[in-house]
Amino acid sequence: MGKRNTVQHQPNPHESTHSLKGTFIAVMLLGVFILVSWFGFYALFLSR
Amino acid sequence: MTKVQLPLSKKESRLYMAFMWVTYISLLIGGLMGLLQTLVRSGKYTLPFNIDYYTILTVHGVILGLVLTTFFIIGFQFSLMGKTVGISDKQLKVAWLSFWVMLIGTIMAAVTILVGEASVLYTFYAPLRAHPAFYIGLALVIIGSWIAAFVNFRQLYVWKKAHKGEKSPLPAFMVIINMLMWFIATIGVATSVLVLFIPWSLGYAETINVLLSRTLFWYFGHPLVYFWLLPAYMAWYVVIPKIIGGKLFSDALARMAFILLLMFSIPVGFHHQLTEPGIDPTWKFIQVVLTFMVVIPSLMTAFSIFATFETTGRRKGFKSLFGWFKKLPWKDVRFLAPFIGMAAFIPGGAGGIVNASHQMNALVHNTIWITGHFHLTAATTVILTFFGITYWLVPHLTGRRLTPRLNKLGIIQTFIWTFGMTIMSGSMHIQGLLGGPRRSSFSEYAGGEQVATWINYQIAQAVGGTILFIGILLMVYIFIQLTFFAPRGVQEYPIAVEEDDAEPTPKILENWYLWIGITIALILFAYTIPVIDILKHSPPGSLPFDWPIGR
Ligand code: HEM
Ligand SMILES: [Cu+2]
Repeated sequence: MGKRNTVQHQPNPHESTHSLKGTFIAVMLLGVFILVSWFGFYALFLSR
Repeated sequence: MTKVQLPLSKKESRLYMAFMWVTYISLLIGGLMGLLQTLVRSGKYTLPFNIDYYTILTVHGVILGLVLTTFFIIGFQFSLMGKTVGISDKQLKVAWLSFWVMLIGTIMAAVTILVGEASVLYTFYAPLRAHPAFYIGLALVIIGSWIAAFVNFRQLYVWKKAHKGEKSPLPAFMVIINMLMWFIATIGVATSVLVLFIPWSLGYAETINVLLSRTLFWYFGHPLVYFWLLPAYMAWYVVIPKIIGGKLFSDALARMAFILLLMFSIPVGFHHQLTEPGIDPTWKFIQVVLTFMVVIPSLMTAFSIFATFETTGRRKGFKSLFGWFKKLPWKDVRFLAPFIGMAAFIPGGAGGIVNASHQMNALVHNTIWITGHFHLTAATTVILTFFGITYWLVPHLTGRRLTPRLNKLGIIQTFIWTFGMTIMSGSMHIQGLLGGPRRSSFSEYAGGEQVATWINYQIAQAVGGTILFIGILLMVYIFIQLTFFAPRGVQEYPIAVEEDDAEPTPKILENWYLWIGITIALILFAYTIPVIDILKHSPPGSLPFDWPIGR
């Protein structure tokens, strides 16, 4: 991706707040939900 | 994207409001038809004056699916362009032309349907025939929307010339992607209407190639749903972060997601034709694979939204894993309505993946499950986001304010909609899995065990539909309040800016030749051979049918 700004970075007081753990887990749960529902309907299809 | 917003002149605002007016009048008319449909299907009500069920179903589908959405989207997108790249007096004149052409087309089509001369449903499948005025009206709506698209392209072009080397503002970039997609997609349906339907309905051509007409329709039909969704995504990417007091998560990610949506929205229409004889299964398979590619930009969008929520919450000092979630502005309808829209997109999207899977499509094809599906995606995700935009856009345009009272009514509206739609869409989904057909007036289908399992769900749909119609009345009331009666003031037009330490956006994301080139290449790949096949091997064309439904 594009080259980084050459400007010296100030130590960022918010750096520690940049955790995206919750985001990661939420997106994974979303993926799981999609897979589970897909296989659920697939099972229904097979059973018919 | 550090630019200050441009003010919207009185003249411009009037144009954008004209589009909003058509939107909310359509909502009222179309919503009433929806209510009547559910009442008829409950088996306890018959339409007065011999009105045909399929007439009102056509009004509902055309007015809500095609008219309301297109007018709202073009009006909202014009406002985004006006805010970020500006509009000249000349462009404004041409933009008004687009409005009038679309409106005249809408009125032509609507009147033709209402007098019973075009009960062909919004997909106007051949060989059902409508009066030529219906097709001509639709063609005018499309042509009007093309005029709007070219004004948008021109707006960005002029801005680019004045801002050499700068990246385009993100909202403008998104609008251009959506209008490019719309233009490329509508070429299909316009060809079908102008070349196949109009001569045939006028009697100049005796027969019509049914398969070709349906293929051209769905070449347009899938991008159509993305044309609805992308403006909602625009609000999720650039408006919602501002409303919750945060910043844009990533300019580059947002652009990349939109580019992927452009590329993978069009060469996929066969997923609506999986039960269609006459299309080689190999090409159905290829288009299904391409369909599944939209999972990528969709999950990118989900990631970006969660990340905006989390980053904003943590900035405000919330430490626990999901603590940031509780502190979102739940009492602000500008946030709540689109948020519920996002939430509805989770089951909506999951259902979409089921529909697009060839085997499971057999389970749900042409059942009322499909109707349940797009009332979640279009009539909840998209519509609630559009309502969410209305709460600030309309007062911004009319020089008024969203008062706490109207905000509260908006929250009530959101709950009514959610509640009504859960009942209606939920029962449609279940009834569909039990085999209940869509696009069907009330019928006992000569009895039978399976049929007996449906009626309770149809009654539930009438209950949900009644609640939804109350929600529509409330929304129209709020719209009128925001237009004429709310106190004068300044309502913010929320557009988020980038983080201070954001990485620069790669230049390649604005290489239009590249992205349009790939889009066209994918379309040619997915459609050339099957369409040649269709042209070469089609059975004889069909004469027009005016019965059982038509004119
Ligand atoms: C009061 C709210 C609403 C109610 C009660 C309602 C009810 C219904 C019902 C019962 C059907 C299916 C009828 C059948 O297949 O026989 C239907 C179809 C449809 N609805 Fe709605 N709806 C509502 C709102 C909306 C909204 C807001 C949109 C669009 C944004 C929408 C778009 C559609 C479309 C495109 C169809 C398909 C028509 C067709 O199959 O030809 N509806 N609606
Ligand atoms: Cu589709």
